[in-house]
Amino acid sequence: MKFSFEWLKSVLKFDLNPKEIQEILTLNLAETFLFKRGNRLILDIELLPDRIGDCSSHLGLAKEIALLKGNKFSWPKVKVKETKVKIEDYLNVKIKTNNCDRYVSRVIFNVKVKESPKWLKERLKDCGLRPINNIVDASNYVMLLTGQPLHVFDFDKIEGKNKKKEIIIRQAENNEKITTLEGKDYLLNEEVMVISSLKDALAIAGIKGGKKAEVDKNTKNIILESAHFEGSAIRKASRLISLKTDASYRFEHNLPLELSDYAIDVLANLIQELAGGEILKGKIDVLKKDAKKEKTLIILEWQKINRFLGVNLNKKEVLKILENLDFQILKKTENYLLVSPNTFREFNYPEEIIGEIARIKGFNNFPSCPPEEILKLPEENENWILKNDLRSWLKGFNLEEVYNYSFISKEEGIFFKEETKRLISLKNPISENFYYLRPTLLFNFLKNVRDNFRFFDKVRLFEIGKIYYFEKKLIVEKEMFAGILAEKEKNKSKDLFYEGKGIIETLFEKFGLLKEGFQIKEIEEERYKSFFKKGLEILDNENNFLGVIGLIENEIKQFYDLKESEIAFWEIDLENLRKIIIKEIEFQPLPLYPAVIRDISFFIKKNVLIDNILFAIQNSGVKYLEDVDLFDIYEKEGEEKSLSFHLIFRSKEKTLTSEEVDQEMEKIYNSLKNIGAKIR
Amino acid sequence: MITDLEQILNLAQQEIQKINTLRELENWKIKYLGRKSDLSLFLKSLKNFPLAERKEKGRRANQIRESLLELLKKKERVLKENSFAFDDFFDITQPGKKIPLSHLHPLTLVLNEIVGIFEKLGFQIIEGPDIETEYYNFDALRIPKDHPARDMWDTFWIQSDNPKERLLLKTHTSPFQIRFMETHQPPFRIIAPGRCFRYEATDVSHEIQFHQVEGLMVSEEVSLANFKFIIEEFLKTFFKKKIEIRFRNSYFPFVSPSLEVDIKIQDKKTKSIYKDKWLEIMGAGMVHPELFEKVNYEKNRWQGFAFGLGVERLAMIKYNINDIRLFFSSDLRFLKQF
Repeated sequence: MKFSFEWLKSVLKFDLNPKEIQEILTLNLAETFLFKRGNRLILDIELLPDRIGDCSSHLGLAKEIALLKGNKFSWPKVKVKETKVKIEDYLNVKIKTNNCDRYVSRVIFNVKVKESPKWLKERLKDCGLRPINNIVDASNYVMLLTGQPLHVFDFDKIEGKNKKKEIIIRQAENNEKITTLEGKDYLLNEEVMVISSLKDALAIAGIKGGKKAEVDKNTKNIILESAHFEGSAIRKASRLISLKTDASYRFEHNLPLELSDYAIDVLANLIQELAGGEILKGKIDVLKKDAKKEKTLIILEWQKINRFLGVNLNKKEVLKILENLDFQILKKTENYLLVSPNTFREFNYPEEIIGEIARIKGFNNFPSCPPEEILKLPEENENWILKNDLRSWLKGFNLEEVYNYSFISKEEGIFFKEETKRLISLKNPISENFYYLRPTLLFNFLKNVRDNFRFFDKVRLFEIGKIYYFEKKLIVEKEMFAGILAEKEKNKSKDLFYEGKGIIETLFEKFGLLKEGFQIKEIEEERYKSFFKKGLEILDNENNFLGVIGLIENEIKQFYDLKESEIAFWEIDLENLRKIIIKEIEFQPLPLYPAVIRDISFFIKKNVLIDNILFAIQNSGVKYLEDVDLFDIYEKEGEEKSLSFHLIFRSKEKTLTSEEVDQEMEKIYNSLKNIGAKIR
Repeated sequence: MITDLEQILNLAQQEIQKINTLRELENWKIKYLGRKSDLSLFLKSLKNFPLAERKEKGRRANQIRESLLELLKKKERVLKENSFAFDDFFDITQPGKKIPLSHLHPLTLVLNEIVGIFEKLGFQIIEGPDIETEYYNFDALRIPKDHPARDMWDTFWIQSDNPKERLLLKTHTSPFQIRFMETHQPPFRIIAPGRCFRYEATDVSHEIQFHQVEGLMVSEEVSLANFKFIIEEFLKTFFKKKIEIRFRNSYFPFVSPSLEVDIKIQDKKTKSIYKDKWLEIMGAGMVHPELFEKVNYEKNRWQGFAFGLGVERLAMIKYNINDIRLFFSSDLRFLKQF
């Protein structure tokens, strides 16, 4: 909001130069910029929402500057010279809505509409307003001076009974039309409040004046309006008709109720000064019944002030600040103050007043002290620890960490038909590229792969992030750990799959989950089925879903222009993983007796699963077998593959002899032959 | 400058023996025979000596120069022959074997650093949902509907069938304050990292998603002065460089007073695009008492501070990154730098 430096100086005497004003306002009020219009200095202040009500005016800002300098500033008193003609004989005002708390009017007869004097026009322009004529300019000027938006109607253009005009504040009817001062037509509805004559709307309340009772060069008699409208109602209406004005902006922020009364007197005087005329006796001041809120009294304990700020303040200093803030001190004791809040700003809690004292003193003028708190170790966050453990392992696995968007595009949502019914969409997406919340980390990964293939032949990524979807109409938000391995080179699919599987197995092992700790099977989970041409699902021993890993289906690859490349992807449910990981490592005593290692190689049909072969070995009745380790797979043309295993034998009681091991090997040979192995 | 001619010769002889590469030899040549070598400087300064001395010293200097040139020639020959002479030659200058090692995302690095500092100060880590209710994101934080303060948070709304509770993507991490306090009694200190979303046009400094770290400390005694101390400690530790810190008035309905914390990097050596100007780092303040009422805390007993840090902002300043959109680009050329 723009303020004229020269105007400010004419309202308040202060000894700060423009730079100093800028500095003190930036630190204690709101960010302030300084610039020049011609040779006139302008302050542009980005007022914060809580201070627009009292600071969006030159008088308000003057009060603020005085306050920051430790002084009290009172708004100048205003006296109006009235004629003997009573306003009541010429005007009647009725409030027929809940959204208007107060409506104050004055009437002036015989004004002369003309151009405004130069000084006034300059001040308006400094603050970014366009001069129109002396009457309109005066009301804008008083708004900039006091903060109260004002409006002036042409008295003679309004209908009434006999000579008495009637003004009604009401909600608009549905589809009621109004033409504004700019000549634009608006279609209103019941959410919008209007100022109306007996027949038509004269203005959109708090937002914009209408053409009908516009002040023009022939206007002689005028009605001044100074009202207090409900902030939220104006805000709603202004959004509804997409019209924001200086007035609506101010009303939205709930101006002080007392302002309307003051501002209209200032305006009446200014108009008389600029345009002559006679001000009728009195004001019509209609106040909604419960508009004046009961003021809460606040108890300010000295001890609380010091405890809250962490510093012992001088009582005199505090009292002075309270006085400058217009607080009335109703009672003062050794321990506390009882204060009645001031008129222009709202304070409901002692902490708000204490905060205000700190602000005025300047936050940078307070000491910083270490807290005196109990030494206590914070409770550990296991999820956080798990995520960081994962990250440190993955770094070693040569996977780059990414943070992708939580969104996927509309096009992707439509492509994954099966997914679409589970997708969560936004009511107000910012574009079709960010349309649904991501139901898996896969889709954005595929985009990453495509983008990075421009510069790299291999892309290996991981992400720890949330996915979102509907499950039985309920919103699910889950944290996942996912990875993708992609290479441009063809015929790598098996390698990539087994590498991905190896990464997961190694990680699981690092978290204490050996093969017995989880199970694998074909993918059944609905959410993942369609993604893979080949893949597996991992479950814990209670059949809870842990994750999936597989090779991406061709159609999907094609959708992302990745038809030619091989891609393995996995996604693990972090929470379910965390539930089964073993946190503490338990040391196993070192073996007392040496191991005997034998190798075995055989041909077997390609479609015999490794899992079944291992089962055959382990269930052959063999003793002393400590570990089985597949170390070579060779697939030749035809139906068969060749497999080689290390078999590790060890006894806990003795050193095994060669004969003993031979006996055990015999059992294994037999068992393998039974499933069709040809021992080499 | 060494003016003792014999010492120059000595040093040169010693050093050339240790030389194994042509590059090292080139450096040796510059050091002992170059225009700025001690020997050259000595020769230039000869004119300052009395005539007799000049003659003698001049002759000796030239002798040394000749010997050095001879040494250089010999060594050069040896090195050149060496490089192809031996089958079992072991080249220590060959680059080491590449060990593939990848990188954590810069936001992870910065987030861990922030959280790590606060953990040392006894703060507990809390996490929470991204999809929030209107109540936690706004109402409980004193940001009612149709209140202009809501303009500060442009919101993504979720399409859902539930008419009772409007859902949204959290616009800040402050809902964690309420969620935590609803189930915990003071005293406590928590730190709550999370992803946030804003409905706004993107540019170099704005994104539709970003990360914040919320902090909250509540006890009977914790004061504004304590808040300043903890934040100053944090910033000094995090930035490691010399920084200036200032506290500025602000407005967030859930704290009173509300503050903005700015820093200025004052390091003459840095080339940072962020140096020498005030940078907004976080919003903060003393917890508004109405929040304590909302979570049914005992009246007039507790007080504390809360703050919200922008993680991307801190990462940008720390690594001198000029465009926030890079963080979510997943461009390996960017990621491999960290």
